[in-house]
Amino acid sequence: MEERIRRIYVPMTETGFYILFCLQTPQHGYGIGQQVKQMTGNAVSISPGTMYGTLAKMEKDGLIAFYAEEDKRKLYQITPLGREILSLEVRRIERLYKNSKGEYLHE
Amino acid sequence: MSKMKLHFFTVADYEEEEIWLRNHHKNGLRFVKFIPPCFFLFEPCTPEDVIYRLDYKNGKQSSDYVQIFSDYGWEYLDSFGGWFYFRKPASEIQIESDGEIFSDAASKADMIRHIIQTRMLPLFLIFLSCVLPNWFTSFSGDLGATRTFFTILSSSLLVLYLYLLIHCGRKLKKRKDEYELK
Repeated sequence: MEERIRRIYVPMTETGFYILFCLQTPQHGYGIGQQVKQMTGNAVSISPGTMYGTLAKMEKDGLIAFYAEEDKRKLYQITPLGREILSLEVRRIERLYKNSKGEYLHE
Repeated sequence: MSKMKLHFFTVADYEEEEIWLRNHHKNGLRFVKFIPPCFFLFEPCTPEDVIYRLDYKNGKQSSDYVQIFSDYGWEYLDSFGGWFYFRKPASEIQIESDGEIFSDAASKADMIRHIIQTRMLPLFLIFLSCVLPNWFTSFSGDLGATRTFFTILSSSLLVLYLYLLIHCGRKLKKRKDEYELK
């Protein structure tokens, strides 16, 4: 993985994390927004400008790729690079969570 | 009957422009389109509280750009010079974020960075390569009516550019810093 990509996306914004997480199954922007609202009980909502901008940036950086077009909407899906980033993030968040509970990691 | 209004907003005044358009709609004039260089076309309507939002996207946009906004209930109105105009009735807004087109500080800062790169930087280059050298040359040559006229003209241009660069530069930088600290 390129150092530049790692620097930009690890750690990731909450918006970025949820978008990447949702794109493990192909989705369009609005669909992602709805899913995130459901998952978080309306605590996280992603506005269209932020959604569009993040999708465009992630596509450019190769974290997600165009999947198909459906009723004038573009569907995206996570790429192998995106999965790599996502798993780095999940590990980081797990560590944060454990540490917040007073647990130490022994590796 | 439609009505044309003249108003000049700089690239740093988009939030003022949003409020200005919203106030017109409240007073029964809804925005139809922007006519360059600084005219706004309105048509009469039932007075209503409608939120206006401007997005800045210079360059080619993905084919579903407008679609994403309309999925979220934003009506696309017009675009000019990289600015996209959207609106949504205030009555459709349930939670605060429904009335915003950006939900995090990072994407607001991104838009400002985009304005600085594609609007402020070219303005600054024109200033350095044309406006400033012209202003200096206007002092040389024979004295006379033509030279005086040229000096006044290039000085006005210099003042205008300086004003735009300083006003917009400071305002945009201040906003960007606020967003980046969040």
